[in-house]
Amino acid sequence: MRKIFRPAPVWPALLLLPLLGGYGYVFLHAEAQWQVAILALAGVAAILAAGSRRVGAALDRSWRAAPSLLGWLAFVVAAALIYVLREDHFALLMVATVLLYALVCLGLNVQFGYAGVLNFAGAAFFGIGGYTAAVLAAHTALPHLVILASAGLLSGVVGSLLVLPLLRTRGHYAALITIAFAILFRTFLEVNDLLGGPQGLKVPGLAILGWSFNDSIVVDADTEFSFYVAYAGFSLVLFTIGLILVWRLERSWLGLSLDAVRIDETAASVFGFQVARWKILAFSLGNVLAGVAGAVYGMMTGFVAPASFTLAESLIFVSIVILGGLGNPAAVLPATVLVVVLPEKLQFIQEYRYLLFSAIVILILLFKPAGLLPRSLRRYFPSWGKA
Amino acid sequence: MNVLLDCRGLTVRFGGLTALNGLDLTLKHGETLGLIGPNGSGKTTFFNALTGLYRLVAGRVRFGGREMTGASPQDLYDAGIARTFQRSRLCLTLSVFDNLMIGNHRRLSRGLAFNLLRRRAFEQELREHQARSRMLLETFHPSLPDRLYDPAGELGMIDRRRVEVCRALIGEPRLLLLDEPSAGMTHEETHELMEDILATRARQPGLSIILIEHEMGVIERVSDRCAVLNFGEKICEGSYASVVADARVQEAYLGSE
Amino acid sequence: MDAGLLGQYIFNGLMLGIIYAMVAVGFTLFFGVLDVIKFSHGDVLTVGAFVGLATYHGLDALGVTSAPVLALSLTLAAMLAMGALGALMARWIVLPLRNAPAINVLLITLMAGTVLRELIRLFYPAGANPKPFPRLLPTDSLTMGSFTLRLDNVILLSVGAAAIVGVHLLITRSRLGLAIRAAAQDSETARIMGINFQMVVLVTFALGSALAALAGVTAGLYYSEINFGMGLLLGVIGFSAAVVGGLGNLYGAVLGGFLFAALQTLGAVWFSVPAYKDVFAFALVILIMAWRPTGLIAEKTAERV
Repeated sequence: MRKIFRPAPVWPALLLLPLLGGYGYVFLHAEAQWQVAILALAGVAAILAAGSRRVGAALDRSWRAAPSLLGWLAFVVAAALIYVLREDHFALLMVATVLLYALVCLGLNVQFGYAGVLNFAGAAFFGIGGYTAAVLAAHTALPHLVILASAGLLSGVVGSLLVLPLLRTRGHYAALITIAFAILFRTFLEVNDLLGGPQGLKVPGLAILGWSFNDSIVVDADTEFSFYVAYAGFSLVLFTIGLILVWRLERSWLGLSLDAVRIDETAASVFGFQVARWKILAFSLGNVLAGVAGAVYGMMTGFVAPASFTLAESLIFVSIVILGGLGNPAAVLPATVLVVVLPEKLQFIQEYRYLLFSAIVILILLFKPAGLLPRSLRRYFPSWGKA
Repeated sequence: MNVLLDCRGLTVRFGGLTALNGLDLTLKHGETLGLIGPNGSGKTTFFNALTGLYRLVAGRVRFGGREMTGASPQDLYDAGIARTFQRSRLCLTLSVFDNLMIGNHRRLSRGLAFNLLRRRAFEQELREHQARSRMLLETFHPSLPDRLYDPAGELGMIDRRRVEVCRALIGEPRLLLLDEPSAGMTHEETHELMEDILATRARQPGLSIILIEHEMGVIERVSDRCAVLNFGEKICEGSYASVVADARVQEAYLGSE
Repeated sequence: MDAGLLGQYIFNGLMLGIIYAMVAVGFTLFFGVLDVIKFSHGDVLTVGAFVGLATYHGLDALGVTSAPVLALSLTLAAMLAMGALGALMARWIVLPLRNAPAINVLLITLMAGTVLRELIRLFYPAGANPKPFPRLLPTDSLTMGSFTLRLDNVILLSVGAAAIVGVHLLITRSRLGLAIRAAAQDSETARIMGINFQMVVLVTFALGSALAALAGVTAGLYYSEINFGMGLLLGVIGFSAAVVGGLGNLYGAVLGGFLFAALQTLGAVWFSVPAYKDVFAFALVILIMAWRPTGLIAEKTAERV
């Protein structure tokens, strides 16, 4: 029996977005450790609720009632948050870092959420982006947008060369090769004097169309915005583009092909899918996103060094994707907030974060393998499927 | 010449074990061949060899007048061979529609720009395939189109089997390989599915089918011709009646006295 | 290069090879019986080495001075503890994910490895720093030109070789080995035939992990130093060795281990920067994988469809 189509109310999602913005503001400004802890717990509870069947379905219906309006509103809320934080260096740095890390995780999500290719070298591809930006910006006069594109491209090319043997091998090859790459990448940088050895390289600030991001924005004599406003805004734009791209990817024949290849290689090849090519495509695409994010991050922080691009950091990226929910691009952002911001706000976690997040991933895989916000069935368009 | 498939001396080995030994088999356009034989006689191995999953040690395959020996699974699919699996291999976490589209792979526009940027054109193509899927499912069971957006894992056994056959059919293959479609189903369900397959064949007169089946009633009802395998070799071939009467076949199934 | 130096390189390569082979044998055992890659294997090796070190300090504090007693007991303690740890991890981390996608097993074991690594770094006294490992074996040496043969290294090499041969005999000659091989062939049938599948898996993981502990202690005695990250690279090398040799095949794992050591040794001769020897060895191993995707000694010719 067909259900009768009934337009769902928009208000739950409409109400939720400003709430999220407010939560972000309060969370970033919370000082006392107990406040942070309570806010974090509330956040996890909210994510869990949103991941539950009933609340999740209600929010989903609500979102589908007006997807483009709500999408724009989400962007506006995020932009407003950046504006409100305009004088707070640290909070803005956090916002930009979260957005750039989330961009990397969007890429990882394509790689192992869709194509099933593990990538344990996310931080290394992030690092390739950063080092490319450092070298190109210091030694060439290329426009910085071109440098960002080159950083993404180089990261993608290195990645595809690494997994090219996938055309002949199967199974665990990608896992093995990325973990070896993650370990050797750091060693390689440390012994390479041209790339600055263990100290790394300085990276010039980003400048687009003559506008230098590293200059504070002076409004008048009394008002001056932090220069991180520009980076946070730019990161927001990049993340939004990445999110739309990955969303569209999933809601197309490409996403379907990647799913087919991941779930059953044998059946996929019998139905004509070029298994290895899809995997390599997904792997390269993911690394392009990581490379671009790494370049912006390097330009924002002003330096790149081998110690930032270790296997342990790569595993942090992996943790974010598993925690959020494999294959759900929308889950990347809340998971990144938890994994990146929490150790910065709760100082006592900082030292134990690798331990903590590894343990959390083990628990997730044992008890809630779909993650906090599980992926739902593919919906090619908002109106797709039953009412 | 209306031979669709011509296999000569197909041989597959696993280590020391010869799973398929010099198998000769031909199939005409529009013909349905029943493939029978005891467990482990090489029937599924034959399908796996024919779809490019196993490598041939010897022998050659011509399909649709083209030399296809040693072709990859992808090339064989492109040439028009589609199959089902003995153990259901639907993607249970994907919707019924997505599963059908996997079988429809050859008709999907796979360009990056088309999929990511030209959403209007994509939607149009999507709607066409949606309509076709509904029609195909409808012919199998009137309730199936309503389940188009459900995860395949939520379907019952017989509906899964139907969807699996639909997945193989939707790409309009020239040769359909059915690997024991009745496995795990009740007598009535098997009967229903057979009627579905007969109806499909009636609608697509050019479609050739090779059917692996243990239910002899099904073989009798559906096939134009039968071939019997034992220990990887063809021991007998002919009409259903002549095959079941053959002493070698009885020996293969019952063992020699 | 004179003959003595050549001999020295070969002997050092053999030493590395035996350590890698011991790790690779573990990977191949796990894969054989359960079709899983246990990425925490390298970190189990590290924990084994640290358990050995802690045992040494404990016995030392109790006043035990005899070097052979110390060496033997720290090795046994490490192997027993890691055998237990391996079985526990199999029971609580690997087996629960038996029906999950293979990538989940990779992820969970990798994260379990990280947990072990971090536990040592954070909670072993001054665990973040490299630790000197006691020299407990006689260091008498025989020098011929530029070639020096040290007794302790000969002992390590022989013990490692004996352990691998022992595992091989256990697998091929004993009832337990028969059960392991049956489970590896076809777990369904093995279960029907009355083999306690879970027990077989636990024993296999215990065996592989004890071997890793032995490899860890061997590495400690050989380099006279251990650190919390030592198992990471050793694990990846052992895994590569097992893949190159042919996962699931014991001979393949040993062959792969010595091959990797040989490539590394060659790399060390050719490149002045030591780090490049690993890059060189991995690059060649990747080429071999692309050339022989199922490994040099292929075990499973076709997957079940």
